[in-house]
Amino acid sequence: MKVSYVTPLDLAVVVVIVTAALTLWRQSLVASLRALSLQGVGLGVVAMVLGAHRRDPVLVFVGVLVLLIKGAAIPRLISRVVARDHPGREGSPLINIPASLVGAGLLTLLAFGATRGLVALIATPAARLIPFGVATTLIGFFAMVVRRRAVSQIVGLLTIDNGIALTAFLATSGVPLVVELGVSLDVLLAVAVLRVLAGHLHRQFNIQDLDQLRDLHD
Amino acid sequence: MIYALLATPLVTGLVSALVPWRRWVPLLGVASLLGVLAVALVLAHDALHSPARALHGSLAVDPLSALMLLVIGAVGLLAAIGGVRYLDLQLARAQCSTRQASLYAALVQGFIAAMLLTVLARNIAIMWVAVEATTIVTTFLVGHRRTRGAIEASWKYIIICSVGIALAFLGTILLYVASSHTGGPASLDWATLVREAPQMNHAVVRLAFSLIVLGYGTKVGLAPLHSWLPDAHSQAPAPVSALMSGVLLAVAFYAIVRCRSIAVSALGSDFVRTTLLISGLATLVVAVSMLLAQRDYKRMLAYSSMEHMGLLCLGAAAGTPLAFAAVLLHMIGHGLAKGVLFLGAGEILELEGTSEIAQVRGLLARRPALGGLFALGLAALLGLPPFSVFASELGLVRSLSAAGLTWVAGLALAALALVMVGMSAPAATMLLGPGTGRATSPRLVRAPLGAALGVLALVGVVAWPLSLLIHAGATVAAQ
Amino acid sequence: MKSTLLWSGIASLAQLIWLVLAGPLALGLMRKVRSVIEGRDGARVTQPLRDLRKLAARQRTRPTDATWIFSAAPLVLVASALVLGALSPLASLHVLMSSRVDVVAVLFVLLLGSVALLLSALDTGTAFAGMGSSRAAMVGAMTEPALLVAILAMSLGAGTSNLARLVDAGVATSTLAGPARILALVSFFIAVLAETGRLPVDNPATHLELTMIHEAMILEYAGPDLALITWGESMRLVLLVGLFSNLALPWGIATSVGALSLGVGLLALTLKVAVVAIGVSLFEVTTAKLRLFRVPELLAGAFLLGVLSVISAVALR
Repeated sequence: MKVSYVTPLDLAVVVVIVTAALTLWRQSLVASLRALSLQGVGLGVVAMVLGAHRRDPVLVFVGVLVLLIKGAAIPRLISRVVARDHPGREGSPLINIPASLVGAGLLTLLAFGATRGLVALIATPAARLIPFGVATTLIGFFAMVVRRRAVSQIVGLLTIDNGIALTAFLATSGVPLVVELGVSLDVLLAVAVLRVLAGHLHRQFNIQDLDQLRDLHD
Repeated sequence: MIYALLATPLVTGLVSALVPWRRWVPLLGVASLLGVLAVALVLAHDALHSPARALHGSLAVDPLSALMLLVIGAVGLLAAIGGVRYLDLQLARAQCSTRQASLYAALVQGFIAAMLLTVLARNIAIMWVAVEATTIVTTFLVGHRRTRGAIEASWKYIIICSVGIALAFLGTILLYVASSHTGGPASLDWATLVREAPQMNHAVVRLAFSLIVLGYGTKVGLAPLHSWLPDAHSQAPAPVSALMSGVLLAVAFYAIVRCRSIAVSALGSDFVRTTLLISGLATLVVAVSMLLAQRDYKRMLAYSSMEHMGLLCLGAAAGTPLAFAAVLLHMIGHGLAKGVLFLGAGEILELEGTSEIAQVRGLLARRPALGGLFALGLAALLGLPPFSVFASELGLVRSLSAAGLTWVAGLALAALALVMVGMSAPAATMLLGPGTGRATSPRLVRAPLGAALGVLALVGVVAWPLSLLIHAGATVAAQ
Repeated sequence: MKSTLLWSGIASLAQLIWLVLAGPLALGLMRKVRSVIEGRDGARVTQPLRDLRKLAARQRTRPTDATWIFSAAPLVLVASALVLGALSPLASLHVLMSSRVDVVAVLFVLLLGSVALLLSALDTGTAFAGMGSSRAAMVGAMTEPALLVAILAMSLGAGTSNLARLVDAGVATSTLAGPARILALVSFFIAVLAETGRLPVDNPATHLELTMIHEAMILEYAGPDLALITWGESMRLVLLVGLFSNLALPWGIATSVGALSLGVGLLALTLKVAVVAIGVSLFEVTTAKLRLFRVPELLAGAFLLGVLSVISAVALR
């Protein structure tokens, strides 16, 4: 168990989950964006550590790629939306912050319970951390449900994505490079599209709070 | 051949995006779809004997994908022709700039290409990438009219579908993990996965399959993550609604069918059947109950799409070759009928200026051609003979009871009856009654709709040109 | 055996004396750091000691409606701090009763002082004091779960809830940077800030009625009683900071009996507490006080970190 790569790996994973919690914790959109960026860095480091451990240059490369895209490029894309947003904070989330943080704790427990079989199946030091990947995904979901700002929704979506990517890194030695590239491209494009849409919502219709999106219903 | 198939829409899309707007750009799109359909026909013919492959077998056409290619090509062609009319009207009224018109033309081609890639890919992760790409491409198409409702619909669409599809990716990853613990090499190749499945860990595959049904189910419009569907279908331009309802839903369903083979091979049919039954029935309940309360005909059509996807899901739950033959025939029938209806509905909206059922009266009297086509389309959708939906619905119900799911067959019949009542009453309001002031739509609108209905009737009466392919496809799907 | 007992007694006594002095001095140090950063000279580090002497010489006052609770509270506060000072492993692992001192018990004795203050404030029957105690009760109710969960995580990691063995386990392991431990310590630290009424939860220097929590509770105290309370509070601060630093960085604590190791232990303890105290004041300078209704958010976050830490302690064992 006391393999040299375990501690940095553990730490990087903890960075991912704690930043996921931070996006729920902080009301300021700038702060949650910063947390998201840090999360991308943590994710990239996970891939790099695993790659270095398995002597897999492709995985290290993927780690660098993830770090650049999720740690830098995507947060930059979203920061425009944040800059337009006034007053730049999550006004009144559906569930207040203490309750949603407790919820996040419960979700983590749930993730832990749900993945026991999977962890036992894979049985590597990295696999022990799978619950955190799943927990990050669940926290992302939770954030999307309780947060009402356009930016918060994008951040929640990306948290889900990061959680799944984390699970993938920990559970396998990463998906093949072609798939990884395709996935990254998709995510990047999706964020770009969301940015444009958020711009439309804001400029044309002066909508920032998604509760205002009530035109379409049955 | 496969390269040509993918390249046609991609090149057309690039050209439409890059050259300055010309009147021939939408016509080029029609030509591209004609090309796609032609190549798809050739590939389908070949698929019966020797499946075509490309890129070291990572792209391949078996009968199942060949059938999907045909659906994409046929409904795509219908939508491309509808697109010519849509762009004409938008530009004429200065509701969109030429730049946006070019963008529309390019995105439709990209949309087609992404769907083609979905059904061609053997790698289930590439398949996922392609499905996600369809989401991204169509978001702008849904919001193309730039009204408040359209932007709202496209926001909901991309958010809900991205979340759903992310779940499907997690499921895909889990299948990959399961395959890496079978002793064989870790793989994402569909055929390899089906082969390795019996050695897979059951708990992991169960989790993976549930996530995949939930995830791709979002795109199919299966409950509970269906809420984007009526919004997007009612707000998108008519040709885009036609494409989404007629093809995109089916393509996402195709992804579930592929993953179903892996799950069945790993777990046996019980778990898979239960999962699909639950989502199918839930979808039916939601769709039927919402459909009965609709006052907007485009939303009504959207819920009807959900209802049909629920039926497909039930067919997949039965899982016999007979059931899949019915499912595939139903996919074709629904795709074409919905294409006709959405384009027709777009034309009605165009002429009447409202999408409220109650505001439209005496359509048959005032616009006999358009009204007639819409009525025939409805007849086709509701499963009246001679249209093929009649045959496929009959087949579905029969295969359900043959698979020991008689109660499900009963429920499905009840749902069909309710829908029949629920849709024919508003249809009667819209179509019948006196009216004054005749107006006609251009032949460009009427001819393709008529042709599509003709094909539907032809397939319904003599399944001949397709029956071999459908049976071969069903055998692949039911593996 | 006898001599072990004797040395434990000596260690406890030494810690007690250290604590009595270190409390006010730590307070002075933190104020000094703050004023230096703010560009003032500030009072001497020993100033709180002088303040205490000055207060002790003054007359005792008591609100007309107050009962014995009001008089007893300062004594309870100081006594609880002194008991813990003697019995918890601050400078040495071998203090009196060290094999019986459970970390949960320590926390509850510590809280005894808080509860006494809370009651005394209610006892005075004045509006400010009542408001202060209701706020303090809210903060306390949110702090304790966080503290307990953090402690639970550390106990799970070490396999014991005995305080001395918990610290000892920290000495023994080489991997100080395990995720469970880091999360638990962060959570613990936030809880310590809240429990001792520091920024960003409470501003110890404020007398603004809208924001004060702790100061509102002790508004009616004067003279020797106030001295006792200030002194008791400062010892609680040092105790918690000392425990925190021993859990975080157990180096230097006396693991064997003897004068030398005890001396080293005291020195190391002084250093660690000084470093943490300076750290806290640096943090305080750069932080604004949270509005009262946002305090639960901070503490819920601490709680979540604690939960994450428990989970990682179990998952990553």
